Amino acid sequence: MDQYRQLRSAVFVCLLFSAAAMVAAQVTDQELLNPDPNDWLLYSGTYNSQRHSLLKQITTGNVATMQAKWVFHMFGAKDLEAVPIVYKGVMYVAQYNRVHALDAATGRVIWEWQRQPANVGWQRGVGIYNNKVYAMTGDSSVIALDARTGNPIWEARPSQEGKRFQGPAPFVAKGKVIASGSGQGGGFIEAFDSETGKPVWHWNAIPGPGEPGHETWAGDSWKNGGTPIWVSGSYDPQMNAIFWGTGQPSPDFVGDNREGDNLYSDSIVALDLDTGKLKWHYQNTPHDVHDWDSMEMPVLIDTVYQGQPRKLLLQANRNGMYYVIDRTTGKLLVGTPFVSRVDWNKGLSPEGRPILTPGHEPTVTGAKTCPSTAGATNWPSPAYNPDTKLFYLIVQEGCGITFRQSANTQAGQGGSGTAYMESPVPEENWQLFVRALDATTGKKVWDYQQVSSHHYGPGVLSTAGGVIFAGEQQGEFTALDAKSGKPLWHFNTGGLITAGPSTYMVDGKQYVAIASYANVFAFALP
Amino acid sequence: MNKYSIAIVGAAALVAASAGVSAQRGGRGGAPAGPANPAIGNQQAIQEGEAIYNQTCTACHGKDGSAGEMAPAVAAPSRRYNRVTDAQVFDAVKNGIPQTQMPPFGGRFSDDQIWKIVAYIHGLRGTAIDAPTQGNAANGEQIFWNKGQCGTCHMINAKGSLLGPDLSNLAGMRKTQSIVNALTKEIHRIPGDGGTHDSVLMPLQTYQPVRVTLADGKVMNGVLRNEDSFSLQVFGTDNQLYLLERAKVKEVYYQPKSLMPTDYDKRLTPQEFQDLMAFLTRLYVAPLPPLPGGRGGPPPA
Repeated sequence: MDQYRQLRSAVFVCLLFSAAAMVAAQVTDQELLNPDPNDWLLYSGTYNSQRHSLLKQITTGNVATMQAKWVFHMFGAKDLEAVPIVYKGVMYVAQYNRVHALDAATGRVIWEWQRQPANVGWQRGVGIYNNKVYAMTGDSSVIALDARTGNPIWEARPSQEGKRFQGPAPFVAKGKVIASGSGQGGGFIEAFDSETGKPVWHWNAIPGPGEPGHETWAGDSWKNGGTPIWVSGSYDPQMNAIFWGTGQPSPDFVGDNREGDNLYSDSIVALDLDTGKLKWHYQNTPHDVHDWDSMEMPVLIDTVYQGQPRKLLLQANRNGMYYVIDRTTGKLLVGTPFVSRVDWNKGLSPEGRPILTPGHEPTVTGAKTCPSTAGATNWPSPAYNPDTKLFYLIVQEGCGITFRQSANTQAGQGGSGTAYMESPVPEENWQLFVRALDATTGKKVWDYQQVSSHHYGPGVLSTAGGVIFAGEQQGEFTALDAKSGKPLWHFNTGGLITAGPSTYMVDGKQYVAIASYANVFAFALP
Repeated sequence: MNKYSIAIVGAAALVAASAGVSAQRGGRGGAPAGPANPAIGNQQAIQEGEAIYNQTCTACHGKDGSAGEMAPAVAAPSRRYNRVTDAQVFDAVKNGIPQTQMPPFGGRFSDDQIWKIVAYIHGLRGTAIDAPTQGNAANGEQIFWNKGQCGTCHMINAKGSLLGPDLSNLAGMRKTQSIVNALTKEIHRIPGDGGTHDSVLMPLQTYQPVRVTLADGKVMNGVLRNEDSFSLQVFGTDNQLYLLERAKVKEVYYQPKSLMPTDYDKRLTPQEFQDLMAFLTRLYVAPLPPLPGGRGGPPPA
């Protein structure tokens, strides 16, 4: 019997090896609900989207010695927005039409799945559940791959015609894979069976005729669409509810053609996980004309608020307002500016509706509004540290000028509005900060000023070691003291950072990973 | 000539026939057919087209259309093409593709010559599914899972084992002759995947079998997914992944042969082999239809 036949027979013999080396790929519901801190299983780390890791090998005391351990280059990629997902020492990184499974301790490739055509569109990585990895294709599918090999298992498109997915990391909860996008009839969220890819439910952000909320769109303006949903959200297992932000109504800068609040644009929505039925909504920006979508990640915390234990939802919105909401009812508790200039409202009504100040509708010559259309913050994720009770986020201070194409306000004649520009006044110009807010009041606690780049910074990561990790769009990856904002360490990645970091542990070593342009970096102590 | 070799020759003949007939399944359905290609079915014309292709196109598009350093595959197992029909490929060759590096060749070659190139590319694009071989596919499936023990290493639609390549779309990725070769020849060429995401760190596609002796004396067998001077990524015969440091490994023995048996012409009767081929040449996952408006684009800012 030659070597080869010995090996063939070995196929039938399951040999036992050292448990440390073996890597299983079976992510259970229990692991998703209570993740091992060594893993990073979701785009936002945990279902509550706190982006806070319990790992504390890297601390404020030793982070200064942190060094790059490996770099993985995704050839032909650019502008990566994927958060590295890690399960038991295997990392999954992705863009449209490609997934790479890496040895998370060495950066070496284990398997790759790719298909034509190459697509460098903005896509935010994968979901993982059971033995499958869920990725997005450039032609609007969710594809399930075997997590151990990359073998394709099923592929699914949005079940309603004319809809397309738009690059969120597929979100997995309770055997459902959830993705979102836009298209005919506006933005949508759809859930698929994680094993078969069969559609389970489809929720449209713009209610159709006869549905509640439809009356908030004048005439046929609901057909204009908009409300694209391109970032995933959060999940509360006790409530069996998911919390998602929705996009802006269309046309972005002209509201004459769509009188009304335009529900459920620019809203936070709570949906039943099993049915996709709306439980409640809070509209941050009714009848938006500044492209202030609500793609900013809703963060779920359970804490004492005004002497009572409460289940809260926190969101720092693109429109400059910080919101604290009772997530069991959708009732607004706090709505307050988190940047120094918010001029479009003079506060919120008791029901949480913004009281508008005049003069901020886009005009042909331009109307100044603070914050700008780019937003006081944007989709890059914030973090919450339950130890400091602070909410950490990327903030952009500044104002903008919004224009419309034509003064004609007749239906269909006003154009989509041209665009916006940042304010040319130096003191109103774009300035980026990493900012810490008191989570339940929204009051500023500290600031770390970044070099401005006229682009949003990447997401933020909080760790139990008391370190906040925040990249700068121009390539510096930085560690800050969670209590003071003092910079403790930095590394020039040499590429634009437009992704959020994650952290994990392999063989007793804590790593911090982040995608930068076309590369994935992993850092650890020496 | 025994019955088995008849089956092989028969399969080869089917490949040759299919190359000229219907190699355009799958791609972007619904595209206009355009003018018919006069070179289709003319073996001499196709050979002339191949000669022109090899002199003119390989520097960018690679041998056999499987992608080169500067341009994507024109014939790839993924069967997703921007130019689907012969008329569309003809247009790309004759007039070039604006805003890309693809130049027009209309000034260099006659229409007649371009049709010959297109006929050659047309044939390259054909895979087994275009002309599945004759036989009892249901019986072939039984042989796959039982007597052939193929499922010991391979997976089809999430059933089977993870050690070897996934075969769910075998007939959409390989030509019939390539499948026959894999079953019967120790040395056979494995076509590249033709992806347009070039990769400098491809994991090993060879399924190199290894026997690893760990520092503590334990021995494990599997196939190598990747390696460098300091680490190994091995998929074990127990269907588990092992991420190993060489510092903790005593010996890595690279098995001289693939795990893939190549004596199926002896393990199976000619009829069984024929039935297995009938099954394998029907393993196909059709791409989803194209979306109106072309490729999926990036999300709005």
